[in-house]
Amino acid sequence: MEVSVIEIRNVTKTYGKKNNTFTALDDVNFTIPSGASVAILGKSGSGKSTLMHAMSGLDRPETGEVIIDGENILKLKQKAVDKFRATKMSFIFQSFFVQANETCFDNVSLPLEIAGVASGKRKEKVVAALEAVELGDKIKSKAKNLSGGQKQRLAIARAIVNSPKILFADEPTGNLDSATGGVVEKLLFGHTKNNGTTLIIVTHDPELAGKCDIQIHIKDGKIESVTGAKKPGAKPAARRVQ
Amino acid sequence: MRLRDITRRAGRSLKNAKARTLLTSLAIGVGAFTITLSLAAGSGGRQYAQDIVNSNTNVKELYVQPKQESVADPSKPQEYSETPSISYGGGFSLKLLEQSDVDKIEALSEVESVTPVYNVTPKYVTRDGEKKYQVSVEAFLSTLKQEYLAGSGNDVTAGKAIIPDSYREVLGFSSPEDAIGKAITVVIAGSLPGSSDRTFTLTIGGVTKKSDLAAISGQGSIQAASESVKEMYQYAQQGTPIENAYMAATVLAKSEGDVEGLKEKIGGMGYEAQTAEDLMSFIFQFINVLQAILIGFGALAVLTSVFGIINTQYISVLERTQQIGLMKALGMRRRDVGRLFKLEAAWIGFLGGAIGSALALAAGSAANPWIRDVLSLGQNTNLLIFEPWTFAVVIVGLMVVSVAAGILPARKAAKLDPIEALRTE
Repeated sequence: MEVSVIEIRNVTKTYGKKNNTFTALDDVNFTIPSGASVAILGKSGSGKSTLMHAMSGLDRPETGEVIIDGENILKLKQKAVDKFRATKMSFIFQSFFVQANETCFDNVSLPLEIAGVASGKRKEKVVAALEAVELGDKIKSKAKNLSGGQKQRLAIARAIVNSPKILFADEPTGNLDSATGGVVEKLLFGHTKNNGTTLIIVTHDPELAGKCDIQIHIKDGKIESVTGAKKPGAKPAARRVQ
Repeated sequence: MRLRDITRRAGRSLKNAKARTLLTSLAIGVGAFTITLSLAAGSGGRQYAQDIVNSNTNVKELYVQPKQESVADPSKPQEYSETPSISYGGGFSLKLLEQSDVDKIEALSEVESVTPVYNVTPKYVTRDGEKKYQVSVEAFLSTLKQEYLAGSGNDVTAGKAIIPDSYREVLGFSSPEDAIGKAITVVIAGSLPGSSDRTFTLTIGGVTKKSDLAAISGQGSIQAASESVKEMYQYAQQGTPIENAYMAATVLAKSEGDVEGLKEKIGGMGYEAQTAEDLMSFIFQFINVLQAILIGFGALAVLTSVFGIINTQYISVLERTQQIGLMKALGMRRRDVGRLFKLEAAWIGFLGGAIGSALALAAGSAANPWIRDVLSLGQNTNLLIFEPWTFAVVIVGLMVVSVAAGILPARKAAKLDPIEALRTE
């Protein structure tokens, strides 16, 4: 049952040169089982964002291994890592990063285009993703006409349209009020659980972290503690908050 | 990412910055406008030159002149030579052909006939009861293609003449048909002091239509049978040092295939021979140089707009840092990001090329009748001819130039670090 989807081994990442180095990640080790929801908790500057970047292949630590789906992505060429991200991962950001001048359809269609999906097959997937986040009636609206919560729902649609194995969310509710944040959380947890997607949330909000199966606390580039993870079966209750 | 999707996205992001896109493409459009017009003027000019040459020359004809000695140093006195020549003073003189030269050329087996160029400028032409008019008379050549309003060039024997319609009118004939068979009087002044004028009477054998190309060929000359012109010429030159000498001669080859060989042969005999083709290529060369200069101006405009494109695209990359970061985070490859920006540049080039050449077409079509009026060209002559291939060449060429201009900004976009680009604050 416990198939690991992400394995981090002895990962160290430093910034700067010789005398003036800063260790963002210091010999980090952990594994994340497939389909789990994981919170990476820490204060700003603790290295949690660097950790996410390392896991997603956006950043390349000097030492260690980042094994995703059985493959060490640090050994892959840039082209292969890009393909990995295009087909197996997706992202949600605190400031949404939806393209204001484009329609909802074109926003959601972007990851499919990047992955090289033929245009005939895209339409159905885009519509399904938009309906999953209850934006089915906004297909032709420009993203700039949406509210903050709707924008983040649009970002979720964009993140799930390609059916990724892993979904990274960087402070997904950081820019939202608690009510709309709650809707976004519910969508995120609901969708990832139903589809067996591994959800990795980077946050400093303990309440949001508490709703995840596993919490990884990070401080000064080191793992402080890993909690939860033992009983994934008992988790549905966590989702029901809000 | 598929090329089609990248192209679509490139087009869309340009649409989102309409004013900027339009202004940048207008800059390149100025170049496209100039180049398209230059190309049109070139084709129009060549076509016009070809029309003139075709209607005034015959492919079987060669124009033969004596080889002129190159004047090594015009500031020094030149040695006197016995051969007839026209001296312009200042050490410049023009050697002439003598009758013996004409005979020598006529003896060649490929030669059908040799007609010396008799250019006669009589005192005037007139007829009973009409005013006197200035005129020039040249020898009739049966091979010259011309349009007859009445009569024909089939039977131009001694004493007969072909006149242009403009002379028919001023000499008081009510219609071209009316003029046929009537007599006109050409008066030649004698060359020696005290010699009297001599009057020649010519019978009109045909009336030619005023040429579409009248602007170049003037009002046209009266063409008389070569025997008659010869007589006039001799009377006009009688007793002068250049009697029986000619500026040039027209040599008619027996067949078109002989022309090139004949040219070399005559050239080897110490003359200069020009074929109709030589004349055409000379004019073409002139037109081509003019065209190249105009295109040069257009190219300068394009060069200027290149910097505009580079600038615009750099700003675009800066403005869209987040978008680029997002696309790269979502797994878009460097190459594809670069392509996106190069294709945007290509779109700008396409727009500029299309706008510029469309405006050139509109302006040129509007200007053609005006040019025709000002230069009093014929009804069907267009000095600006737009050929479809020029539009394709201009548009595709400018797209290539734009893409080249977009390379640097595209590289900047492709190299962007997604982590930096997506940092929020």
